[in-house]
Amino acid sequence: MERQRVGFSTYLFLIPGVGFIVLFIGSSIFITITQSFGLFSVTGTSQFTIDHWVALLGDRESLDSVLFSLKMGFLSSAGTILFAFPLALFLRKGGTGKRFLASLVKIPLFIPALVSAFLIINLISYHGIVNEVLVALNLINRPLRMLNDRFGWGVVGIQVWKNVPFVLLILASSLASIRDDTIDAARNLGAGAIQILAKIFIPLAMPGILVSAILMFIKAFGDFAITSVAGPVYPPSIALRMRNTASLFQEWDKAAVLGVIIILTTLVVTWLYAKLAEFVTGGEG
Amino acid sequence: MSKLVLEELTKRFDNIVAVDKISLEVAEGEFVTLLGPSGCGKTTTLRTVAGFYKPDEGRVKFNERVMNDVPPVKRNTAMCFQSYALFPHMNVWDPHMNVWDNIAFGLKMRKLPSQEQKKRVSEALGILSLEGMEKRKPGQLSGGQQQRVALARAIVTQPDILLFDEPLSNLDAKLRVQVRVEIKEMQKRLGITSIYVTHDQDEALAISDRIVVMNQGRIEQVGDPQEIYLRPRTSFVAGFIGLANIFKARILGFEGNLTLLSAPFGALRVDLGRSYPIGAELDLSFRPESMSPWTGVGGNKLKGTILHAIFMGDAMDLFVDVAGHRLRARAGSAARIAAGDEVEFSIPESTFQVLE
Repeated sequence: MERQRVGFSTYLFLIPGVGFIVLFIGSSIFITITQSFGLFSVTGTSQFTIDHWVALLGDRESLDSVLFSLKMGFLSSAGTILFAFPLALFLRKGGTGKRFLASLVKIPLFIPALVSAFLIINLISYHGIVNEVLVALNLINRPLRMLNDRFGWGVVGIQVWKNVPFVLLILASSLASIRDDTIDAARNLGAGAIQILAKIFIPLAMPGILVSAILMFIKAFGDFAITSVAGPVYPPSIALRMRNTASLFQEWDKAAVLGVIIILTTLVVTWLYAKLAEFVTGGEG
Repeated sequence: MSKLVLEELTKRFDNIVAVDKISLEVAEGEFVTLLGPSGCGKTTTLRTVAGFYKPDEGRVKFNERVMNDVPPVKRNTAMCFQSYALFPHMNVWDPHMNVWDNIAFGLKMRKLPSQEQKKRVSEALGILSLEGMEKRKPGQLSGGQQQRVALARAIVTQPDILLFDEPLSNLDAKLRVQVRVEIKEMQKRLGITSIYVTHDQDEALAISDRIVVMNQGRIEQVGDPQEIYLRPRTSFVAGFIGLANIFKARILGFEGNLTLLSAPFGALRVDLGRSYPIGAELDLSFRPESMSPWTGVGGNKLKGTILHAIFMGDAMDLFVDVAGHRLRARAGSAARIAAGDEVEFSIPESTFQVLE
C-alpha cells in the first residue's frame, strides 16, 4: 500500500493535543529534571551539581518516604482490585436491581479525594462513628486507631473506598468483552464455577486487571491529599515530602529530585506493565 | 450415546413463549436438525438440552433419565458454537490455551490421566485433520480450522449428545459445504446422537437423518429430508424449505385415481393419494422444478407468458404468468427462453401436495 502523505495542515491539527503535552507537561518535566541537578534553580545560583541527589539518596527520611509511597501504591492497587473484581463479576449481567447497585457504587467517583478522606475520617477516626458504636456496644474497651496509623492502613482503606468505582469501570468493560459462548463452552465441557473463574474470567480479564493495577498504583504512589489527612505522622508520602521540602523548607532543588523520583518510578512501573501485558496476551492483544 | 426425549417442553422468557410444548424423540446415533427462521425456538430448545436454560414445563430425558435439574457440567453433552467459542491464548498461567489445550480442556476438567488425555487429543486431531497445528494459538487459525478445533474439543470428551448451534454460519459458502460434509462423516463414524440447529435449509437437507421444522416455538413437521422437501405438510414448511408455488383449489370431481381441481390458473388433474369431498377447498403446493417446458407427454399442460428468465448456471429460473397468476418454473440451462415468450409447461399429476 502506498503511504499516505502527511501534509503540513495535518500537523497543525495536532497542535492542541500534542502541543499542549510538549509545551506544558514536557517543559515542566524538563525543568524538574534540570532543577534536580541545580540548573534553572528557583533559589540561589544555577549551577550543575549532583549534591541534591546525593543528599536525598543518603537521607533516611527520604528513603522512608519512597518506601512508604511504594507500599501505599502496591497495597492500594491490590486492595482496590480485590474489592472491585468480585463486584464487577457480580454486575457483569445486568438486572434491574444490579443496575441500581452499579450506579450506587459509582458515587465515590464524583467525590474529590480530599473530601472523601474527610468523609471517611468521620467514620473511622479515634472518636469517629465506627469507634463510638463499637465502644457503645461494649465490643471494644478503647477506640481502635484506624487513622494516622503508623503502617498506613487508613490511607489504603480510603484509597480503596475512593477508587473501587473507577477500577470497577475498567474491569466491567474487560469482563463484558468475554463472550457468553466462551463461558457456556467451558460449562458445557465440565468446568465448575471456580474453574470458570480461574480459567476463563481471570485470565481473559487480565489486561483490564493490569491496567487497573497500573493506574491505581500511579494514583496511590503519587497521592498527596489522602496521606496528608489520614496518613501516619512519619513517614510522609513522597508527594507530601516534596511539598514540604519545596514550600516549608524552600528547598526547591531537592523537591525537584523527589519529583524526578516520582516520574521515574511511574515510568518504570508503566514499562513493566507494558511488558507484562505483552507477555500475558502472548503478543496477540 | 443417548436417546434424547423431549416431552411437552416449554420455555418462556418473561411473557414470550420461546418454545411451546414441543415433543420429540431422537434415537441413539441419529442426526436430527432443528430448522427454522430466527426466533422460532430452535436455539432455545438446543440450549435447554445442554442445560443452559431450565424448562418451564415438560421434561428433557437422556435415555430414561430426566435431566431437568442436572447442571450443564454433568450432562455430558458437547456443544459447537457459531462463534467457535475457543478459549483465547493468555499467558496467565498454564494452560496457555493453544489448539492442544483447547481440545484437552474437557479432559482436564474431568481429571483424566495425562496419558489418556494425550491419546484422545491425538485421535481427535487425526479425525479432524489438525495434525501439526497443536501448538498454534486460536487467533492464528482460519475460521474453518477454528471450527474444526471446536469440533475436536467437543468429540474428545466422548459426549452422549453432540449439540451444534449454527456452527457453519461464520464460514464462507464453499467452506461451509466442505465442513458440513466433515461433520456428517465424523458423526457417522463416531455414531454420537447429534442435534443440529440451523436456519439454512440446504445445510439441513444435506446433513440430517431427520429434520424438525420449527416455527414460532412449535414443531411444524418432522421427517427425513426427502419427506420434508417433497411432501411439506404446511404452507410454512412448503414456503420455508426451497421454493414453492402455493395456491387454493376447489375439488370438481374424480377421474379414476385422479382428482379434478379448479385452480386460479386453470383446471388440474392431480394425484392426491386420498379422496376429498367434491366442492372442498384445499391449499396445495408444488415445487418449481415440477413445472417444466412441455415435452409432449403426460401431466397437466399449462400455457404461460415468461415474466423473467434467470440463468442460474445449472438451470433456468422462470417467473411465469399463467392466466394472471404468477408461478415459478424451471427449465434446463440449455433452454432458449426469454422474457415475453409464450411457453407451454407441464406439471406431473403426482407432484401436488395438500397443505394443512
